Amino acid sequence: MLRIEGLKVCFGKEPILNGVDLQVEKGESVAIIGESGAGKTTLGLSIMGLLNGNAQGTVDLDGLNILSLAEGEIRRVRGSRISMAFQSSRNQLNPSHRIIDQVAEPIIAHRKNGKNEAHTRASAMLVKLGLSSEKFSHYPHQLSGGEQQRVLLAMALAGDPELVILDEPISSLDAASRIEVTAFLQKALVGRMAILVTHDFSTAAKLASMIATLYGGRIIECGPTQEMLSHPRHPYTRALIRSYPNMTTTKDLQGIKGRMERDVSGCAFHPRCTQAVALCREEVPSLSAHNGRWVACHRGGLLTALSAHNLSKSFGKLKAVDGASLTLEHGETLALVGESGSGKTTLARMIVGILKADTGEVFVEGERVDQRGKNFHRAVQMVFQNPGEALSHRLTVLEAVREPLEIQGVGSKADRDKMAMRVIDEVELPTTKAFLDEYPHHLSGGELQRVNIARALVLNPKVLIADEPTAFLDSSVKAKIMKLLLNLQENRGLTILFITHDIAVARKVSDRIAVMREGKIVEEGSVREVMENPLNPYTRRLIEAASDLDSERMP
Amino acid sequence: MHVDIRKELTQIKGGMAGVAIIGAMAVMAISAPLLAQHDPSLQTRFAFESPSVDHWLGTNHVGQDIWSQFVYGARTSLLVGFLSAIFSTCIGALLGMSAALIGGLYDRIVMRVVDAFIVIPAIIILVVLGAYFEPGVWNLIIFISLLGWQWGARIVRAQTLSLKERPHISAARSFGASPFYLTYRHIVPDLGPILLVEFVYAVRRGIFMEAGLAFLGIADPNVISWGMMIHDALQYCYMSVWRWWLIPPGVALSLTIVAITLIGYAFEPVLDPRLRSEVDAAN
Amino acid sequence: MAIYGDESLVRMTPELKAHIIERFALDQSLLHQFGAYLWNLLHGDLGYSFYYNTSVWDVVLGRLPWTLLLVGSAVFLSTVIGMILGIESGWRRGSKLDQSLLGSLTALGGFPDFFLGIVLLLVFGVTLGWFPLAGSVTPYAGFTGIAWAQDVLKHLFLPMITLTLCHIGSGYLLTRNTMVSIIREPYILTARGKGLSDARIRYHHAGRNAIVPLVTRTGIRLGQIFTGVFFVETIYSYPGLGNLTSEALSARDYPVLQGILLLVAVMVLVANFLVDLVYPKLDPRIKHAR
Repeated sequence: MLRIEGLKVCFGKEPILNGVDLQVEKGESVAIIGESGAGKTTLGLSIMGLLNGNAQGTVDLDGLNILSLAEGEIRRVRGSRISMAFQSSRNQLNPSHRIIDQVAEPIIAHRKNGKNEAHTRASAMLVKLGLSSEKFSHYPHQLSGGEQQRVLLAMALAGDPELVILDEPISSLDAASRIEVTAFLQKALVGRMAILVTHDFSTAAKLASMIATLYGGRIIECGPTQEMLSHPRHPYTRALIRSYPNMTTTKDLQGIKGRMERDVSGCAFHPRCTQAVALCREEVPSLSAHNGRWVACHRGGLLTALSAHNLSKSFGKLKAVDGASLTLEHGETLALVGESGSGKTTLARMIVGILKADTGEVFVEGERVDQRGKNFHRAVQMVFQNPGEALSHRLTVLEAVREPLEIQGVGSKADRDKMAMRVIDEVELPTTKAFLDEYPHHLSGGELQRVNIARALVLNPKVLIADEPTAFLDSSVKAKIMKLLLNLQENRGLTILFITHDIAVARKVSDRIAVMREGKIVEEGSVREVMENPLNPYTRRLIEAASDLDSERMP
Repeated sequence: MHVDIRKELTQIKGGMAGVAIIGAMAVMAISAPLLAQHDPSLQTRFAFESPSVDHWLGTNHVGQDIWSQFVYGARTSLLVGFLSAIFSTCIGALLGMSAALIGGLYDRIVMRVVDAFIVIPAIIILVVLGAYFEPGVWNLIIFISLLGWQWGARIVRAQTLSLKERPHISAARSFGASPFYLTYRHIVPDLGPILLVEFVYAVRRGIFMEAGLAFLGIADPNVISWGMMIHDALQYCYMSVWRWWLIPPGVALSLTIVAITLIGYAFEPVLDPRLRSEVDAAN
Repeated sequence: MAIYGDESLVRMTPELKAHIIERFALDQSLLHQFGAYLWNLLHGDLGYSFYYNTSVWDVVLGRLPWTLLLVGSAVFLSTVIGMILGIESGWRRGSKLDQSLLGSLTALGGFPDFFLGIVLLLVFGVTLGWFPLAGSVTPYAGFTGIAWAQDVLKHLFLPMITLTLCHIGSGYLLTRNTMVSIIREPYILTARGKGLSDARIRYHHAGRNAIVPLVTRTGIRLGQIFTGVFFVETIYSYPGLGNLTSEALSARDYPVLQGILLLVAVMVLVANFLVDLVYPKLDPRIKHAR
């Protein structure tokens, strides 16, 4: 078993790794995921003891503390018990030695075999990795980049190490090679401990049994691969998955607020976190177990921003909403999809409080909402469908946006004006006096909707319910408004309940989808799950209908 | 590539030492008449005298004052060294630049000639030349120049080739610049640092060659040379005279050459960015 | 007449004079003489040395082996030692060892061959008397076998050390600087990752690549060492081509001088050619160019 505790690595004064905790059992492979510069490769190097004494803490392999070993002792471990396959770059292999010699070298050096047996083992490994035998006596420059990567992998595995560290093993391979090598690696890693360093979720998904996210020099979440990918519990992990382009991420690339900073007090992620509290700034959260998942978060991982349980509403004999339940996690976008008349808007209105529900409860951040007081309205806001009608034609732009502040009695008049103007600017509208004095009937549809959004944001809500925000807009404007909403979400860390009839749009912008039909929620899950494996036939029909439209449009 | 001479020299400690030594030699050379006690070529009856107040370094086998010879010898070394370096650097720069700019058969021929001159020891050619022609100081300077240009030519050609492809040259060409304009305005200034380093090493070669030839017996009989002094003194090395006859010119010669080498090393980071980072790291 | 110079006329007997005039067409125009010289050259006839009274070829051939011994050993030693020191120094860049080697070998390289030779001669030959002052063998001693070899070595030692010391610097510096850039290459990290011993990485992995530039420069270094040979042999009166040059120079024996020039030029060019053949074998990137 490999046990890493409190691993700290500094280059100069900057700590790159700031207390990493990790455990790998035999037969497990852990993928270390993080952005570039997070320290993934440094982690790999420190496990190998290749960091020239900069590392502090414990790296324990079956009782042997690697960091405390002298250089001579650790050399015996390197290349025999632990090996590392570096990412193939231009000169990762010695240009003056033949391939077969380089692969056999660690076997011979660690006296596992004589020269001939070592060469046999090396050849066998190379063949398994798909390298043709005529290339064995070639030199590195005669091989392509993909072939060089295979040689590096062979070099790491040929000696049958207990622990193998793979740094981006397949990222430099072409698509066909990736499949081949991945299949081989899946077999080769059986019965070994493996650490996979990568920034690519699909690699992790295929090769790792666990995923650990590295941020700010610490592991902030660790858990079984599939669960991590479908239900990340740490905001950063979710944001990473969301912002990473791969075949299964259907949501458009969306970044994470802010940038990775070093030297942050308390939790390294708190400046970028949408659910941070004072404690997050003061103390570093330790990695602790919650239901089979290890998360380093003072709040125990992602919180539920809003949840609605068993809401129902009838209008006379018509049951508009029938026992619908929803959960919205902090910072995510949940799309509520359904045809017109399915009850989506009714549900939204019940949540906001415009309509009184017959049954059911609404919770904001875990607390039940009985009375919708000031606090509620400051937390949850709504953007309505028809922008023209949602704004009073008597109020100017500025007055309209200022209205919520006046109702809530926030600040002085001057403050309110300033806050209103700031938010108007945020929605990319001009803040000239001329514009601010305009009346709604002079504005275009797109501008009106922006004013709407500005008004909804002026109280700095945590949850924004957008009810078909682009339904009444021209198609050219639709995209811009969607983009605005997503940018706002990124910058402010909003949680969005996005109501739409268009499942194609929902797929592009949301993390999770709930499908509503005739008042009931018939399906709910991550976008990936729902789009690939719709359980409900209705969902399937919706998806097909959407793709039909798409294919119709193709020339 | 802008070279701040002072900065380059002072960054490496050796550079300053080199400059100091050369400075001392130059001072000695210039003020030779003031420093010398006697006429260096005056032969007297008092041969093999030990150092005394009258003869600070004693006298040689024909009674000449060694100290006077010593100070005048500096002149020869520095003069031949610098002048031959100027000529050979110019020849080398011209041939190198022209080979790079003209290209084709001319370039290939020049490079073959350069290779031949680099490989064949110049000394033996100089010996044969010196044997045939009467080696006056100016002849020596010319011969040494004619056999020292190849190193500069090779470097200048390489640099010109790379400069030729730079975008700012192409830009000038697109404005209709003539080859002369390009050379004069763009290429030569950028070659400055390289030529500077090459010049320094050419001086070193010149000094070495002059002394070496004099040592072998090819020298202007009217001119005092450290090499010649060493040659003469060597004949009597079994006597104790070597201490004040053989050592001083030898040490002076070596110091001068080492000093020039140090100056060359100080300038070299200009040429090779890798070495430059070492300098920065060391400081 | 031009080639032989006026002084030589005094030494010749009338028969010899007539013989020479006839053989080398001296009574004809200068151009004709030059043509005759070239013609003779093509037949391997380098001319006649009046001073030594035999053909130039014989004179030169007698001296050649000693020079080859001296140059060969000096090239070998300076290259090998320079290489090893360069590898060790470059590997430990910045350390005390590196800095002191760098300083001392740079300084050493600054000294001209002949001065160093003189110093060593004075110290070890004249003052301490450890080594002989002249010649390549003790004359008339009649040594054979091991004794002869020892005698040769004793005489060879100082000149060889002089040449070697002067030229270790260039090989060392080149190797060291190459090493410094090689250590940063990714494949050195790969080698460390394999848990190989420090020495193996230093030599088998890094050194192996570091010596390539040195080999390509061998041709040039050979020319430089040849230059040094002229001075060193003169100082030690070592009976090689260099010493022959000084002798011929004082006697103004032009044919010999020319002969030496030609021989040296040819030898150096051939050596360079051989190096050009060997070098690709060392660098697989050239040998197996894609």
